[in-house]
Amino acid sequence: MVRVLVPILLLMLALGLALAGDRPAPRADFTFINKGDVATLDLQRMSWIQDLRVGRLVFEGLVQQNTFDPDYTIIPAAAESWTVSPDGLHYTFRLRDNLKWSNGEPLRASDFRFAWRRLLLPDTGADYMRQLQLIKGGEDFSRWRLESLKLAARGEGPTGAELWALTLAKFDQLVHARAPDDRTLLVTLEHPAPYFLDLLAMPPFFPVYPPLVSQYERVDPATGRLIIESGWTKPGRIVSNGPFILSTWRFKRDMRLEANPHHRLFDSLAIRSISIPTVDDANAMVLAYRSGAADWVTDVVAPYRGDMYQQKLDFIREHQAEYDALKSQGLDEIEIARRLPDDPRNHLHILPVFGTQFYNFNCSPRLADGRPNPLADKRVRRALSLVIDKAAIARDVRRVGEPVARVLIPPDSLAGYTAPAGLRCISDCSTPAEREALIAEAKQLLADAGFPDPSKMPAISILFNKDGGHDLVAQAIASDWQRHLGVPVTLDMTEIKIFREHLKNKNYMVSRAGWYGDYGDPTTFLDINRIGDENNDRNFQSPAYDDILRRATSEPDPAARLALLRQAETMLVEDELPFVPLFHYCNIFLFNAHKVSGINAHPRQTQNVYLVDILGDGKGPDIPRSTPPRVAHTAPQPRGENP
Amino acid sequence: MKGIILRRLLQLPLIVGAVFLITLALAWGIPGNPLENPDGRRPPPEIAEAMKAQYNMDSFGSFATSYIDRATGARWLRARLSGEHAERDAAAIAAGLAPPQRYVFDLGPSLQYRDRTVNEIIASSLPVSATLGLAAILIALLIGIAVGVVGAIRPNSLADAATLTLALVGISTPTFVAGSLLLLLFSVLLPIFPVASWGSPRDIVLPAITLSLPFAAYIARLTRVGMIEALGSDYIRTARAKGLPERTVILKHALKNAFLPVLSYLGPATALAMTGSFVVERIFTVPGLGQHFVSAVQNKDLFLIMGIVVVFSTMLILFNLAVDVLYRWVDPRIS
Repeated sequence: MVRVLVPILLLMLALGLALAGDRPAPRADFTFINKGDVATLDLQRMSWIQDLRVGRLVFEGLVQQNTFDPDYTIIPAAAESWTVSPDGLHYTFRLRDNLKWSNGEPLRASDFRFAWRRLLLPDTGADYMRQLQLIKGGEDFSRWRLESLKLAARGEGPTGAELWALTLAKFDQLVHARAPDDRTLLVTLEHPAPYFLDLLAMPPFFPVYPPLVSQYERVDPATGRLIIESGWTKPGRIVSNGPFILSTWRFKRDMRLEANPHHRLFDSLAIRSISIPTVDDANAMVLAYRSGAADWVTDVVAPYRGDMYQQKLDFIREHQAEYDALKSQGLDEIEIARRLPDDPRNHLHILPVFGTQFYNFNCSPRLADGRPNPLADKRVRRALSLVIDKAAIARDVRRVGEPVARVLIPPDSLAGYTAPAGLRCISDCSTPAEREALIAEAKQLLADAGFPDPSKMPAISILFNKDGGHDLVAQAIASDWQRHLGVPVTLDMTEIKIFREHLKNKNYMVSRAGWYGDYGDPTTFLDINRIGDENNDRNFQSPAYDDILRRATSEPDPAARLALLRQAETMLVEDELPFVPLFHYCNIFLFNAHKVSGINAHPRQTQNVYLVDILGDGKGPDIPRSTPPRVAHTAPQPRGENP
Repeated sequence: MKGIILRRLLQLPLIVGAVFLITLALAWGIPGNPLENPDGRRPPPEIAEAMKAQYNMDSFGSFATSYIDRATGARWLRARLSGEHAERDAAAIAAGLAPPQRYVFDLGPSLQYRDRTVNEIIASSLPVSATLGLAAILIALLIGIAVGVVGAIRPNSLADAATLTLALVGISTPTFVAGSLLLLLFSVLLPIFPVASWGSPRDIVLPAITLSLPFAAYIARLTRVGMIEALGSDYIRTARAKGLPERTVILKHALKNAFLPVLSYLGPATALAMTGSFVVERIFTVPGLGQHFVSAVQNKDLFLIMGIVVVFSTMLILFNLAVDVLYRWVDPRIS
């Protein structure tokens, strides 16, 4: 018998030892569940929303957005002031005095140049390389480097350390970003770009600590390529300049941030520590919030979120008069929730964001298999767009109150930009007669395009990826096309990786798609429809469209420039229709506005979490922040107060 | 005995090597570009090319050779001997920084979690999964043997039918149902155990019970069958004829033989439980290894796929070996 017990005892001993080594950390001042795991804290290589959110806490750029301003005006961060030349080409940044890295070393203007060099080097693999090529000479430098690497690979030209020394010299020579002293940064742009400062408020353009990062980069002697290793972003190693420092980052468990004693906001932060646990399961996120383990869930994706939204609507209905009064004062949704009674149903916040879901039409004359493409004709695209019941998709399929989209750029998200009217759809018809007329119009368009009998058309295949509820939207659209037009439709569901390959190779007819804007300018949405743009999945090729964008690029007057961009968007959403907008995305937050302040409701949805204040805890000002209503303005004001 | 252990240990690298090469070829064949974002912005083509070069993923040949070079420790040895490590460490110390961390057997970077190496991921996830798996196997043994013995003492009685039904339910209930139910009952309705937390011994209870259920059910069935057979054999009749108390007969004489099939099941079961379960880890937010078996393949995270396959196959072989050794020790008739 003893011998039988031995394996059990051995197992118990092993378990006891394993448990003894595990200790939980004390609760942080603020705990939030990010959209997903942070993939990287290497600023120049990041592009995911959860990475950017933490990047803004741990690092700091030259400037930042005032996220509680309706226009998201640009305010100082590491730079205390800046000037722009009248032609909009020359920027002079003056850095704050006594800026320090988290190890106490001084932060210099040249550290920004180091980060920008990394971004422009194709070796880094930066998703935002192209955006920084706005700086004069940036594109030339990237191209020169690529050519040199190709030559080196063929065994021609210099390689290894020699090529690297040449690259450093070339950067100094070509790229117009200079640091004449430790506190001054001079930048010249290729063309005037009113959104340049907004771009600089994004973490990929923030500085990194050169002595540390260069430890993890080495030049491959054979190819001359820069090999980048991970590892410098670990707690204890990372050197950063943001209001918080990374104190713990345990894989798939949690990340913990503590206030940075070398940062100027150290004494004024209302929260001193932030915990970001990893919770992947949609249901566990909500349960974690309800059990008090988290203060903020940044992306509620639970399958029953539609029901949660209905409960919020019930709550609002119970306080309808009060809600309407607050709404008419122009208050934002979070502030309204704060002024209504504290109720668990009231902890859900549905906020429109800077993104749109649409359906791509492949505009290539021929499909990937060589057949002629019926969608190459814009009349077919228009007919299909007209009969989609977008309101029903938002109301019955998505069920979280996302606004129906007629345009690509979410309206009211950009200061000074007025959205085009867009194309109407069957949801806009109020009477059956109107609907019949619209369907007749769509059928006529198909007939004009050579399909008098739509049922004889080649079957339209809708490509979408598994998960995310895309199958339901695809079914709804397929049913609209079949029911109203009699067009044969097939559904094609694939894994996300294969989905992306098909899009890239234009191997589809119609596909699910979406786009989130990166920076505060219409071009962040419009550029993806240019000829040759790597994100032009639609293969939309319109020289006229590209020409409008080109004219906008060289237009010095900001208002005239926005008018041109509006013209370009109008062309997309009212005439050419390389895609059909369905709805504008919403973020679904779960937090108690009576307890938490500092999360803004602006559609741009940049969250500077260091502004969070737990109300009534005696730390920080304990005064709730909210976004005031937008006032009519003339031109973007690139100055403001430091929060 | 020593000969067997030695022979099996010598076979291990060969088997792992074969598993490795087959998986490498299969993983390379998964469609899609692992370096591309699953959604949103697609980088310029020159960036995509640079990224491929960065990870030696231009061709299968260059990927496989550079991977094997790294994973076998050959690259580490070269850099060590050429003084490259010493040089870079000196540079780091001169800049007032800690020298970079290095692994002899470098399993490469994760493509999905760019700031992590596969070595780190395994080093942080495997202990978690192993702890949970051990706890689950312990619970499974306790429940399974107890239930099996109770059923076997009076076959076809009410107690037997009840325990058999319980075992059947245990085998057929999917863990995502059992886990979600336990979470709702004991974390939300009765807040005894925490939600979405890992670190204290309390956190392990619910996931361990969930994970143990199918194992417990299987062990119960094995024990019951073994016990019924043992209780009907001649040596038990002898033991009873000698006038031994019934407890001694069952626990000392019958269970000893009935446990043998459980023991042979325990090898693969422990390896399976200790390398984690995708479902249990997701429901209870356990930072274990099991989730990577699924997500690494979905994301075509080549380095991570290879790393966990090597770890899992090594563990499976080692646990089977351990069971064989224990088997011979518990039952000296086998040689």
